[in-house]
Amino acid sequence: MADFSVRSDSVNVEQIMEQIRTRIREKRGVDYTEQQIRELAAVKLEKFLDPRGVRSDLLTQFKAQRAQEPVEVPNFAFEDATLFESHRGPVQWLRKLLLPILKLFFNPNPLIQALHIQSKLNTINGERETARRQLDALYYELIHNLVLETTRLGIDVQNLKMRLESVSSRLEFNERRARALESVVVYKPSPGDEERPARQDRGDRTDRGERSERGERDRGDRSARHQSHPQSQQRQYAPPPPQAAAASTPSAVAASPETAGAAPATPNPQTASGGATPAEGPGQRSRRRRRRRGRRGGGSAAALMGAPGAATAPTPESSGGESAPLPGEEGEPFDDADDEAGGDGQSGEAPPAVGAMATHHDASAEPAHSTAPATPSPAPAGDTLPEQRSAPPPGPGNGDTDPQ
Amino acid sequence: MKIAVVVQRYGSAINGGAELHARYIAEHLARHADVEVLTTCATDYVTWRNELPAGVEPINGVPVRRFRVKHERDPRVFAKRSEKVFKQRHSFGDELDWLNAEGPTSPALVDYVARHAGDFDFCLFFSYRYYHAFYGARAAAGRAILVPTAERDATIGLSIFQPLFRSVRAVMYNSSEERAMINAVSHNEAVPGVVVGIGSPVPTSTQPNRFRQKHHIRGPFAVYVGRIDQNKGCAELFDYFQAYLKDPAGKLSLVLIGNSLLDVPKHPRIRHLGFLDDADKFDAMAAAELLIMPSYYESLSMVALEAWAVGRPVLANGRCDVLKGQCIRSNGGLYYDNVSEFLGTLEALEQNRWLAGSLGRNGRQFFRDHYDWPVIERKYLDMFARLSNEAPRPAADPLPGWFDRRRQDLPPAEAVLAQLPTGPAVASYEAAGRRRA
Repeated sequence: MADFSVRSDSVNVEQIMEQIRTRIREKRGVDYTEQQIRELAAVKLEKFLDPRGVRSDLLTQFKAQRAQEPVEVPNFAFEDATLFESHRGPVQWLRKLLLPILKLFFNPNPLIQALHIQSKLNTINGERETARRQLDALYYELIHNLVLETTRLGIDVQNLKMRLESVSSRLEFNERRARALESVVVYKPSPGDEERPARQDRGDRTDRGERSERGERDRGDRSARHQSHPQSQQRQYAPPPPQAAAASTPSAVAASPETAGAAPATPNPQTASGGATPAEGPGQRSRRRRRRRGRRGGGSAAALMGAPGAATAPTPESSGGESAPLPGEEGEPFDDADDEAGGDGQSGEAPPAVGAMATHHDASAEPAHSTAPATPSPAPAGDTLPEQRSAPPPGPGNGDTDPQ
Repeated sequence: MKIAVVVQRYGSAINGGAELHARYIAEHLARHADVEVLTTCATDYVTWRNELPAGVEPINGVPVRRFRVKHERDPRVFAKRSEKVFKQRHSFGDELDWLNAEGPTSPALVDYVARHAGDFDFCLFFSYRYYHAFYGARAAAGRAILVPTAERDATIGLSIFQPLFRSVRAVMYNSSEERAMINAVSHNEAVPGVVVGIGSPVPTSTQPNRFRQKHHIRGPFAVYVGRIDQNKGCAELFDYFQAYLKDPAGKLSLVLIGNSLLDVPKHPRIRHLGFLDDADKFDAMAAAELLIMPSYYESLSMVALEAWAVGRPVLANGRCDVLKGQCIRSNGGLYYDNVSEFLGTLEALEQNRWLAGSLGRNGRQFFRDHYDWPVIERKYLDMFARLSNEAPRPAADPLPGWFDRRRQDLPPAEAVLAQLPTGPAVASYEAAGRRRA
């Protein structure tokens, strides 16, 4: 309203009023504010939400109407002789006798006709009134039902609105939860990782492409070996010293395959590739070992999130080989498992065999199999791998740490 | 020159519109002539009970002669007769009975006027609708000047008053709308008349801050001054203002000054201060952003004139022709016909300070030009001078005889009222302005 074209020296009230009215018309037609719309909606809703408020009068009227008995309207029959009738015979006779004289004074015929017509009209009106009352009752029923249904619809609409709000808020909460989880599971670079990028360019990435192939080949070879030469594999297998196995705590047990297998695992890819890749030296192996440790040293997601039990599984094995490389950290979460699996079974020597077990344990993340040094055959471990992946056993840092 | 002012009630404590009007006129004319006030012993306009002693007493230097009222008003009889004359076909006698039932019936006052009319040069009769004016003007034929203070209600449609308007020496109108209405109903254009109105004792300076401090009022506010009554449109004002309060952009509060016959809504931004003296009233007006006048029926709103006198705009009910006409003629106020217009005009006055200031200045100028006391006094004195030089008009027609009084041939007063022209008399005002120019 502040945009009036008025000047101090020429205020014209009629013009201003015209401007205000124009503004009101425009506002009414187009410019409902959000608040006005809400108010209108609220008023309507309130009415509907209070069924008693809607139909109180109607109900009262309805009841009153029903309580009223239809009034019997008195009627009369009026014929030609009605005017002169009497229950006394002589009087009636006398009236008939004097009728001609009476007609000298006035003409009773129009009166008789009018009353006769009126009698008929009364009858017709009575019938109409009866029909109207029946119709009124129907109308009242109809309106009553309509109001009930309208009220019910209003309440339904309100309920649906509330449910929609509830679902929206739940959806929003879930989205926020998902975002929070994504933001919590972040990569924490360890000191060992700092030197990694340079090597990734040189070796890891090229290795990684080969690993899958080698892994396939390795699995094929292993299964063949297991089937054809179980005894020889047993012979190749170098069991850990008994005192180490006996003295190891679960965590230590979990760590043992890594310590046992990680050392021979690194040279395996090279040896598996045969002449294609030269064999690694001891320095390379140790570097690779350190790199793996460093890679796993970031801790599991559960540890990062402070999940219960995460602290009890500090070793990479207990935290699971699948969970150690975090998504987004290296791009492929299961590369290490494949990597190690691929690198394990390449050699026909005993350490690679142990490494194969270790990597399988690593991939399956089952500490029980880490104690497998006691079991002479690694074949079951390799066979159970797919099942264990599909249904990981309960244990610290297993399923919980998997961000997927 | 000796002037008689005849009015239904009179006194310093009586603040009714016509009564206050009469007192102001009497006191101001007393500076130029010998003025005597003739009135009744009643103070209550509903019962007309005799509450003051009969006789003469000076009030503010003006002698006041009081006469007893013959009987109090019987509300039941009055309502029954009102129903008859306003809504049904009726007779002249019915209207006289209605007038008698309305009161204040004081034959002593009329007798005194009849006996002593010759002692006065002119007799000013206030409020055409009452017993004293109808019979007194006939008794003082040739010297009677009528100040009708007529509103647009059904009473103006009664037939007994048409000869009254035609038979007096002059009519002092309050507004152009009133004049147009009386001319239309009685065809008394030949009777000398002038739109005078009334002034107000406006103080030379006001103290708005004193009022704010005294009544603990902060922030901008709109003020209503007058009786808080349904008949004054206050119920509608409350509804409209509560609609305004829903707008978060609106910052105005409503301050009500006057005795309340109506429940005032409980809201922190609606304050009822009760009856205040003149100083507080003018300070309140000066402190307010605007004055709201919601009344439907006004012959002249003194409060609106007072608001203009202190330079404040007025927001008036547009369905009151007089108020609307005054707003248009003065360019000193806006008016509304419905709640949308009320909100729109209130918003305009609140947000556009330039507009509000311009309207206030125009109103002040309008007051100075037309309602300042020297102007009012001059108009009365000019009229007296004019009438002194003119031959007196023929006496009023005698009242109908026994048979004519009982002839049921008069239309309902409401039907007569409905046929009268409506709307503000702006055209006639402009024409008068051109004639003066």
